[in-house]
Amino acid sequence: MTEKIAALLESWGVNKALEQVEFLLDPANIPFAIWETLYAPLLAAVFAYLIGLPLGILLVTGEENGIRPMPKNLMRVLNTLINLLRSIPFLILMVMVFPLSRLILGTSIGTTATIIPLTVAAAPYVARLVEASLREIDRGVVEAAQSMGCSTWQIVTKVMLPECKPSLISGATNAAITILGYGAMAGSIGGGGLGAIALMRGHGRGQTVVLYVAVILLVILVQIIQTVGTRLCVKTDKRITHK
Amino acid sequence: MEPIIELKNLTKTFGAGGGQVSALRDVSLAVYPGEIFGIIGLSGAGKSTLVRCVNLLEHPNQGAVLFHGRDLTGLKEKELRMQRRKISMIFQSFNLLEQRNCLDNICFPMELAGIPRKEAKQRAMELLETVGLPDKAAAYPVQLSGGQKQRVAIARALASDPEVLLCDEATSALDPKTTDAILKLLQTINRERGITIIIITHQMSVIEQICNRVAILDAGQVAEIGAVEEVFRNPKSPAGRRLVSPSMALPLAEDMPLARIAFNGNASADPIIASLVMDLGMKVSIMGADTRNVDGKAFGTMLISLPEEAEKKKTILDYLNAFAGVTAEEV
Ligand SMILES: Nc1ncnc2c1ncn2[C@@H]1O[C@H](COP(=O)(O)OP(=O)(O)O)[C@@H](O)[C@H]1O
Ligand SMILES: [Mg+2]
Repeated sequence: MTEKIAALLESWGVNKALEQVEFLLDPANIPFAIWETLYAPLLAAVFAYLIGLPLGILLVTGEENGIRPMPKNLMRVLNTLINLLRSIPFLILMVMVFPLSRLILGTSIGTTATIIPLTVAAAPYVARLVEASLREIDRGVVEAAQSMGCSTWQIVTKVMLPECKPSLISGATNAAITILGYGAMAGSIGGGGLGAIALMRGHGRGQTVVLYVAVILLVILVQIIQTVGTRLCVKTDKRITHK
Repeated sequence: MEPIIELKNLTKTFGAGGGQVSALRDVSLAVYPGEIFGIIGLSGAGKSTLVRCVNLLEHPNQGAVLFHGRDLTGLKEKELRMQRRKISMIFQSFNLLEQRNCLDNICFPMELAGIPRKEAKQRAMELLETVGLPDKAAAYPVQLSGGQKQRVAIARALASDPEVLLCDEATSALDPKTTDAILKLLQTINRERGITIIIITHQMSVIEQICNRVAILDAGQVAEIGAVEEVFRNPKSPAGRRLVSPSMALPLAEDMPLARIAFNGNASADPIIASLVMDLGMKVSIMGADTRNVDGKAFGTMLISLPEEAEKKKTILDYLNAFAGVTAEEV
């Protein structure tokens, strides 16, 4: 089987075909790489939302005309910090965050270690996504809730978040895909997963077949996330009438 | 009778420096339990700002908002939230929660008040019945027409068992027929539940149809306040005249003596002027008229020119005032 495929590839002019096919078909390699590709970004996404969701809410509720205005200086610092983190290219941010990874996890290499830079990069992005979603809500709806005697907390939990749920889901889909992309990039510096395989083997060692397979798998993963996200978004949105 | 809501010397200014807008200037008025009180004015007159001051969605810069004699402006946030439950509000754009179905929209205020879900649902069903949408419990707002949305909004407003219902242009987004139906519903609610209603509108017809008293707001000030028939038959302020008879607000020659004739439905307009000319042998011209004929009876006002001589003026006014349902005075 392995030899047959290798011979076929060889006949198409592929170099080192046997080595590549052996690598790809070894059940320990690709499934594990897919797992690694998903697990670090997934955990990072969870942490990013733990930080970014409250921040995004604060960005909307705490502004001057928000439902609970916060000191202007606090908002200014928050906005600047988010912009700052978002303007650093991910690879550079990752290197900069190494000491933090070492501090928290005791290491700065390996898939688990990428969770820290991924979280640091994704949290401000998530905050902006959440902010954008919450801004879509009609001011009148919030006012109606206020007129009914809603507290700030109730407006956030019972009005803003539920009313913006479809948009938040769509934002989360975006975040997941972006973090997945960052994760693949992180593969180049000590991380694992499909990104690492594509870079190290595919690019580094000229194993083009491995490169393409890894990239195609990444594309498929992104497609799946996007499709699930869009379906979920449409399904939860009661503004869309389903026949 | 004690007013249920009393606004005292409300002042509200938006912005600062050059871009400052005085939305309310020293507005005072009282609304009594059980009445339907209208506030009318042109766009930008400050109506929304005024009604939003009643439940403190807008905080006035100065003045007091008394609810049962108690000033709301001084209340702590938590206490204010409790009071707000007794003052419901409906809006021009309905402001329903779009991700909740009708039943859950109506349950919302009860959820806030901590009423058990089962009890809330049952009450919400009753309220849907009240507003005439018993079969829309599971429908989402997007599936409803404007009129239906406003009905759900009214049901939601009633869910907290309020004493006052504020309506900010509640019918302005609706067609005339739907407006009519919503106004009738509000009237029924007022009558059957004894809820005091404050209606903000720029439409005369709304005030005419259901209000007991009306305040005319002009550039942030109360220009006039009184019983609806009184104000409409005989508006005293320039703003009132502009609203009641827009056609007569045209600038006329300053010194031309004029009389306003108000018809309140007990006479027909045309024969009166005709007989005036014939009986008295004096010529008058109609300068403007905003009368409506309902079953041959006239409602509205008419402006006629008067002769210069005081004696002739008096003759004409006396002649007109002798008709039932007609009031004439020099303006
Ligand atoms: N939040 C606000 N900020 C600045 N100006 C406002 C605000 N709300 C209302 N205004 C101004 O106050 C005036 C009265 O507005 P409003 O009460 O909405 O009038 P109405 O409801 O009678 O049309 C207008 O000039 C309007 O532009
Ligand atoms: Mg308005």
